[in-house]
Amino acid sequence: MSLEDMVFLPVVLPLLGAALALCAKVFLTGRASRILEYTGVFIGLGLPWLFFVYITPMMYAGQAVSGVIGAWHTGVGIMYRFDGLAYLVNILGFSVAAAAWVYALGAGPKGPSFSSVFLIQTASLAAAIMTADLFNLFVCLEVLGIASYVLIASSDKPGAALASFSYLMVSATAMVFFLLGLYGLYRLTGVLSYEGIASALNQLPDAGGPVALVSLSLIVAAVAMRVAVMPLYGWLPDAHALAPHAISAVLSGVLIKTPLFALSRVLMLMPAGASAGQLMGYAGAVTALAAVVIALSQKDAKRLLAYHSISQIGYIVSAWGAAIQVGTTTGAGVVLMAAAFMHAFYHALFKGLLFLSIGTTVDRAGERNVYVLRGAGRILRAHGERFPVTLICFLIGALSISAIPPLNGYASKAAISYALKGTPHYYLLFAASIGTVASFIKLSRIFWPTPKGSAAVLDDVPAAIPWPIHLSQIFLGLLCVIGGLAAPALFAFVLRLISAGGADVAISLKFYSSGTMIKTLIITASGVLLFLGAITPKGSALLKRVRERRRDFEGLFVSFALGTAALAGWLLL
Amino acid sequence: MKRPSVTSSAIPLITAMIAVAAVLLPIFLADTPWPVGARDYLQENGFGDSGAINLVSAIYLGYRAFDTLGETIVLLVAVGGTIGILTRSGAILAEGYTNPDTVAGIDSSEEEIPSFSLAREKRKSHALRTHLLEVVTAILGPIVLLFGFYVMLYGHLSPGGGFQGGVVVASGIVFLGLGNRMESSTKLTQAAVLGRIEAAAFLLLILASISGILLGKGFFGNPLSRFTAVPEGFIIMLNAIIGLKVGAGIGFMCIAILGRER
Repeated sequence: MSLEDMVFLPVVLPLLGAALALCAKVFLTGRASRILEYTGVFIGLGLPWLFFVYITPMMYAGQAVSGVIGAWHTGVGIMYRFDGLAYLVNILGFSVAAAAWVYALGAGPKGPSFSSVFLIQTASLAAAIMTADLFNLFVCLEVLGIASYVLIASSDKPGAALASFSYLMVSATAMVFFLLGLYGLYRLTGVLSYEGIASALNQLPDAGGPVALVSLSLIVAAVAMRVAVMPLYGWLPDAHALAPHAISAVLSGVLIKTPLFALSRVLMLMPAGASAGQLMGYAGAVTALAAVVIALSQKDAKRLLAYHSISQIGYIVSAWGAAIQVGTTTGAGVVLMAAAFMHAFYHALFKGLLFLSIGTTVDRAGERNVYVLRGAGRILRAHGERFPVTLICFLIGALSISAIPPLNGYASKAAISYALKGTPHYYLLFAASIGTVASFIKLSRIFWPTPKGSAAVLDDVPAAIPWPIHLSQIFLGLLCVIGGLAAPALFAFVLRLISAGGADVAISLKFYSSGTMIKTLIITASGVLLFLGAITPKGSALLKRVRERRRDFEGLFVSFALGTAALAGWLLL
Repeated sequence: MKRPSVTSSAIPLITAMIAVAAVLLPIFLADTPWPVGARDYLQENGFGDSGAINLVSAIYLGYRAFDTLGETIVLLVAVGGTIGILTRSGAILAEGYTNPDTVAGIDSSEEEIPSFSLAREKRKSHALRTHLLEVVTAILGPIVLLFGFYVMLYGHLSPGGGFQGGVVVASGIVFLGLGNRMESSTKLTQAAVLGRIEAAAFLLLILASISGILLGKGFFGNPLSRFTAVPEGFIIMLNAIIGLKVGAGIGFMCIAILGRER
């Protein structure tokens, strides 16, 4: 098997697994069906790791595999490119997907239908990040979207179907505009591959003029909608909060990041890409701060986490946009992009962990309101958790996202603030970090012990928490700790892969210096103060107004239209 | 709760429309010459490369077959998701059956159960079914099925192909499902059988896409080119597999909506 064939394994193996799971559903029953389904899942989520291990040395040496699918002529076939970025995003996707599937084994949804849709989603993630063809990117995003609508709707929570529907509607609308942008670029250039479009545009007078710019803005806005950058974030809180916990982990951890990194391939080549990246960077920094304020005001535990996903994606987008702006061929661009990926990866791990551990807790407690739920540790103990695994996992996640050393969130935020030092983004992200600390103090209160006897008395002995739940939580928790401790080595690895094995980028980043420690102390102390301010009557009243601000279905479309127009205006002027 | 007035909700929407129109205008006013590269390439090499007279099928099953795989998966997941939602609302409906009030369909208006079917259709006997409908659909069904397979298998020569043929096959299945009710002589209208065909066709499609890897022709390479010099064999094979998958999937969904399976 040649290397050109092998790079398709992360796409083909999950698809094969999905087909087997589907066959398990319709041809077999009982034990035989389960065995075939699990075989399919092993093929889809396990076997690709052999490929990742095998290809690591080549990726480290800066090799990239590219070509045309089916070995057709370049102008008409589908181009692909598997490089360091694709490898890294695949690692991110497959690690969280494996943990989430194992968790679903214990907490539901389960069954062959779920497994097959889940595997299809994973396959489309791998396909989206390695494609170098704009229409193929459209197809990958469509598959990704439809799989996630179905997975969100598979929850039995009231409102999940509605959340899935509004996500479907707004994202289908965005994809129509993506197609129109695609048409505009094809109309100008006559090719669909990223490189082909970019080189044809560079030969046109004025690089394609306004047609090229508005087409690019339509494509960028459609992807930004999937990534949930402000102001295009309205669909996310409901979808992520009401989906089954395992799906929430994948949605927040992986699904909102893959389109972003897939888009970076387009923007790095396009003539107007740097300018679009600059605006996205600003939008990201504003998102980080605005979303954390809304998060602080939430009372539903999972909705609070969902707003934090928007806030954290803001961190990623601001570093990512700045990287596109300066170009990833420069040293500064490589550091920025590597920092963006590090935070994307670490966020996937700790946010996945938070969704799973909070999901376990609120399911057992039967209460999701963070103002009402108290003494969650006792409830978990009543469910047979002698050693407080879930509590410890939640704490690891919460301390990670609050950037407390030596956990992984601390390391990646240090990398981002190192890369962004001296820009306006830096101060916005600094303020957002304070809000993050405050809102996780608020969320942690669900574990505050209650006086003996006042906890809800459970009628019968509740069922023990199934082992897959613990296994997946421990897996992600360990990755968070290891990711924090091994951050310097990992960061060097990511830098090398992003720079395609090129000359070592000189960085003077010290992860654990006294300066960063003092900064952490300042942020944590301010966070505590902010939390104390938020529970005063005045603070609560203000947060209540933020929480109950008007949100409606039309607003999703209005914000998409205005966001697109703003981007087009920015590029034109 | 006070509803916002019509004007206050219309202003943002109108602004949004104007913004979208302003953004899209340059694309539709573009007067650059149409690109001809791909067209000329296809005209010269399309038939030779793929063996398909119908160049559309040369594009979607040859040059861009990977995109087609993606679109097929979109359809598969959409059908699966629809069935999932229908099953759940069907379970709610089944509860409704045991309640005499719901069957009468008059008194239950206060606590209307959300469902996808109209109130009149909840009755067990289908009053609208006539002998005319049953006879005509039973005669037409097999003919429509045959036509569907024709469209499917001749997609490389004439307009048509797996997707179109599959939809025609599905309408044939719907005809059969509408027709002979009790004295059914076909298993094609059984949801379980259709589900099996769909799953098997999906597995075959994935295997067809990777068979090129195993035979040294690359991902989505033509595996048959080792055995025969006629290139259109792969397109016919893909058309047949996609047609079966689409036909079974859409047919499955229609049968489920008809409520034939209890």
